[in-house]
Amino acid sequence: MMIKGILTGLGILLFAFIWQTSLDGINRKIVGRFQKRVGPRWYQQFRDIFKALSKTGVTHGWVYDFGVMMALGGIMATVMFLPVVSVSAFPGFDNFFIFVYLFAVGMLGMAMSAVGSGNPLAGIGVMRALTQMVGYEVPFMIVILGIIYGHNTSSLSELAAIQQANGILTWNFVRMPLGGIVAYISMLGMLGKKPFETFIAPAEIASGPMVEYGGKQLGMMIIMHEFATFIEVTLFVTIFLGGATTLVGFLAKYFVVYILASLISNALARFKIDQVIKFYYKVPIALAIVQALVVIFLGWGV
Amino acid sequence: MDFMISVPTVIVGLILSSVLAYVLTKANKILGALVTVLASCGALAVMFLLRSDIGSTQNFFMIGFKLTEYGWFFSTLMILIFACVSFFNLYWMKKIIHPAGYNFLYLIALAGTIGAFTAKDFIGLFIFWETIVWASMFIIPFGKSRKASVVYYAFSAFGSLSMLFGILFLYSKTGSFDIQYVLQQAGSNLTYALVAFITIGIAGLVKIGVFPFHLWLPQAHGNAPDTFSPILSGGLVKAGGFAAFLVTAVMPSLKAFASSFTFLGKELIMPLPNFAFVILGAISIVIGTLMAIKQEDFKKLIAYSSVANGGYIIIGLAMMDSLSVGGAFMHMFAHALASAAAFLSIAAVTHRTGTTKMSELGGLIHRMPLTYIVYLIAIISMAGIPPMSGFISKWMIFQSMINKGMVFVAAAAFFGSIGSFLYVFRPLSAVFLGQLSPKHENVKEAPFLMQLPMVVLSLLTLAFGIFPNYILHPISDIMTSVGMEGLQLEGLIIRGTNGVLNPSLVTLIFGIGFIIALIIFVIHPKSRKVDLMDTYTASEFIYTPELLHYSHNFYAPFERLYENAPSTAKWYNLLIKKIEEVGAFVSYSLFSNKPRTAVFWIVCATIALLWGGSL
Repeated sequence: MMIKGILTGLGILLFAFIWQTSLDGINRKIVGRFQKRVGPRWYQQFRDIFKALSKTGVTHGWVYDFGVMMALGGIMATVMFLPVVSVSAFPGFDNFFIFVYLFAVGMLGMAMSAVGSGNPLAGIGVMRALTQMVGYEVPFMIVILGIIYGHNTSSLSELAAIQQANGILTWNFVRMPLGGIVAYISMLGMLGKKPFETFIAPAEIASGPMVEYGGKQLGMMIIMHEFATFIEVTLFVTIFLGGATTLVGFLAKYFVVYILASLISNALARFKIDQVIKFYYKVPIALAIVQALVVIFLGWGV
Repeated sequence: MDFMISVPTVIVGLILSSVLAYVLTKANKILGALVTVLASCGALAVMFLLRSDIGSTQNFFMIGFKLTEYGWFFSTLMILIFACVSFFNLYWMKKIIHPAGYNFLYLIALAGTIGAFTAKDFIGLFIFWETIVWASMFIIPFGKSRKASVVYYAFSAFGSLSMLFGILFLYSKTGSFDIQYVLQQAGSNLTYALVAFITIGIAGLVKIGVFPFHLWLPQAHGNAPDTFSPILSGGLVKAGGFAAFLVTAVMPSLKAFASSFTFLGKELIMPLPNFAFVILGAISIVIGTLMAIKQEDFKKLIAYSSVANGGYIIIGLAMMDSLSVGGAFMHMFAHALASAAAFLSIAAVTHRTGTTKMSELGGLIHRMPLTYIVYLIAIISMAGIPPMSGFISKWMIFQSMINKGMVFVAAAAFFGSIGSFLYVFRPLSAVFLGQLSPKHENVKEAPFLMQLPMVVLSLLTLAFGIFPNYILHPISDIMTSVGMEGLQLEGLIIRGTNGVLNPSLVTLIFGIGFIIALIIFVIHPKSRKVDLMDTYTASEFIYTPELLHYSHNFYAPFERLYENAPSTAKWYNLLIKKIEEVGAFVSYSLFSNKPRTAVFWIVCATIALLWGGSL
């Protein structure tokens, strides 16, 4: 049972890597066309990863390497818990909070490794990333509170199953539109898409946490980034768009959510970090609270 | 034989050892500190033997002792913290102003905590409670500041007097001091219950440092000797949890306040008094988090984080369902271990470098790797990230919060939870990571006897994070012993109201993820080791490591957003001014040597006399 679960988890991991990395390549192509360029080939992201992995890089001490492994390990563990297309490695144990906090292990690893490089720009980047996290995570979790309260389960696969009962009308995005919008805005923050790209800000703080990476450490960080993106988008697809019963359905929903985020990102400019917090703590948090109160006191949307 | 090992024996033994420690310290400081180590470790061993004695009562002279399930839990946790910290005493004898007094009071404080948790009647509880307050009040000024001690005593006195009032009030109504009996009686009368809840509850809130009584924590924890801060934060603060537990669960608050389940005609999810505690808890989470983010001194930072964590404990206890109370107990356990470990690792850093200012440190991971790992495990637990025990408790408290649909309280708790990532990362980055300052080039790892307790605390944090049910079973027993529903535990699984958690599975999968990452790392070309100063600086030439270390004012953009927020310290300063004014008026009108006041009082007295009986 356990072995089967772990093997399923590894399968999900492999699927996630191939799909998200290809999609990242496709995304680069779409963005290229958006900017009237030709853009790279769809498999460019694979090339980048394997090139980085094969190079001899530098290391700034043991915590720099250990942090990279902790980051990738934590994020991969989180992916293994995700239910994808009604397949879940550990049905029932895919608790929402695991995704928030196990994900944080990976983020902590990345932050440790980045600051361990000794570059102050990495420190500034991590400071911004953590500050931004306070911004998007609180509204997001309030929305999720409403959903868990309404459906009385925090298991992702059960939440997906509940939404599949009656087609599009039972999707949480349709039933709780305010919450859905807030969650999408929060997801933009999680993905680090503009206008919430402050912690990367290549022209400002030289890619922030990523400033020192090269060689295999950079390769592993790109892989980690792909997995993190997969987790965030799949969370949105599963919690708000009803997951999917077929592979095609899942890929289609995923594609729309991700590419839309990317297009929004390309149309906007970057916030400053205090503007990010101010933004999230005005409209999105208010909408999130309204949504949660509507679910709890009026019972609408369940 | 029965007398040989029982609670009074432990307490008397500790008091005798405290005298011994005092005498021996006068002769040889290290020998005296060794007594504190042996006595507290001995007490820990005896307490484990007493596990089978739960439910027994003993009388020792005037004072009765009863070893309850929760009393055993609290006492053992407390002795564990005292025992671990005592190893640090060996190294602090030279730094403390009055070593003999310190060792003496250290063991007296320990005796006081055990007494308070095992007292059968309220008088015993109050005496031992005051022993803790007085012992720690005299220890705190052995560190940096005398004022801290005054602040601590002012708050504690308020709490203690409030508790004393409650005890005497309940005695006048029920005619007994027996804790169980009195609280059961109080539970059946709304007025008595309310008085008990407010007075004893306030003593708990003050001790655990919940808003508006949180100001003593940063003062006392920040200025106490480095070896006593972990005791305060990890141990003594949890006594507040004990007092709060007495009035929420031992006195069945849900039953007592059954008639106050409504507010303005609406039905509430919990009685109004409990709700007040929950709201205070939520406010302390937010304030503790925001203030912790601002601190430059890492002892104060962890002190404010204790305020925030105290908020979770109070919320858990006040919500009074099996998951929340279980979560509160687990959180007390997890936070006691984690904050003691964090304070100890910081004490180790201070021992080697001589400072607690974060901006003066940096890069110590290359000199003190073990201390770093201890701190890392402690903060992972404090931030509630798996696989540490702090995750289990937060998960349980969140479960029942969501189940009750408390949006605003949950929002505060989520904010505190994510905010904790910010403040726990700050010392990690500023003290251990980043550039190593040249003046700390020759710093060494902490000595072995310091490493030992730190490693023990870290291993416990990790072990009970992976296999929490070994601690949740005793916690469940505590809850059934006070008539609550137990936790739903099956094998390695914890069952919540809206989900199941298998911490061992989470750890296993994390292990697998890490191994895959390790394999990817190992099979690819080896990296070249470069110096820390060999980093990207946009073609600037910087040769001073301190200039390349980002540590001062770390969260400046975030802090700017709330720099003008109202401050509780200001309210207290206003209060102090008012009290001073009243005092000045009283001393002017009563104790003045000016003729006009004398004339005034003579006139008043004359009028009163002339009026006679009709006044």
